[in-house]
Amino acid sequence: MAGSRLEKFGTVFTRVRDLIRAGVVKEKDKPIWYDVYAAFPPKRPPLYVKPQTRVFVKTEDNVPEIFYKEDAIRAKFYETYGNGPKMIDLSRSTFVSSCQRFVEKYNELQSTGGFEEDALFEETSKALLAEGILLRRKGVPAVAPEPRDPVLGMKLTEMLAEEQQANTAAPDTTAAAAVENTASVDNTTSTTATPEQTQTETLATDANKPS
Amino acid sequence: MAAGMLTKAICGLRCPRFAAAALSCSSQSYSTAALPKAVLTPSDNTADQNKLLNVPLSHPDFFRVSELFSLKDLFDARVHLGHKKGCRHRLMEPYLFGSRLDTDVIDLEQTVPHLQQALNFTAHVAFRGGIILFVSRYRQFGHLVERTARECGEYAHTRYWQGGLLTNATIQYGPGVRLPDLIIFLSTLNNVFQTHVAIRDAAKMNIPTVGVVDTNCNPSLITYPVPANDDTPAAMELYCRLFKVTINRAKDKRKQLELLKGLGPSTTSS
Repeated sequence: MAGSRLEKFGTVFTRVRDLIRAGVVKEKDKPIWYDVYAAFPPKRPPLYVKPQTRVFVKTEDNVPEIFYKEDAIRAKFYETYGNGPKMIDLSRSTFVSSCQRFVEKYNELQSTGGFEEDALFEETSKALLAEGILLRRKGVPAVAPEPRDPVLGMKLTEMLAEEQQANTAAPDTTAAAAVENTASVDNTTSTTATPEQTQTETLATDANKPS
Repeated sequence: MAAGMLTKAICGLRCPRFAAAALSCSSQSYSTAALPKAVLTPSDNTADQNKLLNVPLSHPDFFRVSELFSLKDLFDARVHLGHKKGCRHRLMEPYLFGSRLDTDVIDLEQTVPHLQQALNFTAHVAFRGGIILFVSRYRQFGHLVERTARECGEYAHTRYWQGGLLTNATIQYGPGVRLPDLIIFLSTLNNVFQTHVAIRDAAKMNIPTVGVVDTNCNPSLITYPVPANDDTPAAMELYCRLFKVTINRAKDKRKQLELLKGLGPSTTSS
């Protein structure tokens, strides 16, 4: 069957139509789809479009960007709270994310109460907290760290040295008791306790002698 | 191995069609001596035949393809999702609804009538006994497309497209080959993101095409383009299901009408 291989000129239909009109293709050899195309032509004739040569001037973007009024609220939500507590599950078509709930509550409060913008944001957070959604601010850890036990900060050797100096001025029994106390508190200094004991005894006898 | 797959995929193009080839492509059939001669139908039979073929053309939606899907079905199958703004093809701009944070969104209000037209055309071609070839070089859905073609009794080509498949068919497959009457593209790009060669070849061989064009495709040479998403499995399964159902519906209708009119199976039907 005769054909026309010029895909850049006209459409498939126009070429076959012209071949039939010229008598090259007989009526009985008409392609099957010819009548169907004639009855239901496409919205745009499938003409070949030459690829555009280098565009030096930036043409305008004909495709509009899609933005909604609620996007301002959403942007603020994501900036403050990060991704939100609930994971987004796209497999369900009726799924409502935590951000969407926030937006709905915000709009509700805006229409009913007479709050200002900043207050409105805080109000919606509180309202959601009341409903059970815990929103955590970005950057702040969830639980405050436990304060370190102050006992661990004390230096016991220094404390012992201080006690001994305080005890040398005091009387025997108290000195002995203090020595025993210090000995019981700090076992590592037990070896040093005995010379100290003799030292304090001699000091005491010296003190008692002149009196 | 690729050549073997190729011939297996398009083997049907040659084998059962010689009788029809003798009728339709008369100039190419050198081998008519061994084949059964085409039965000459009597004149009133041809008049009936013509009526049978032309009656469906007067109805706007004879096969009720618009009932097969709704806009909500398309939305649920994620048909409206396009690629990013940087990948956009200039000629796809009229079919886009907008871009949300740089991701293109296809206008489903336009997709619905385009898809209806495409399905309607497919149904009429199948009704008239046309050969339909499914082409898709998207490897993720290759098996799905082949399965769809098998289930509706048509053909599929989801492997490497050799240059002269359509344009050099008489030499590659022998004389008297009947070429497809409609090619359906479930993805118009090949594996290197260039336009599939078959689109240009089909236009050269005067074969109409139906194609699912995504936001990075060129819709200019496709006869019935359908601006839709071709990357999501849900969307691809939807298209395969729709095409399969329309083709089966059209063929069943044909058998039914022939039985009613008492014509018996005609030589041009599949």
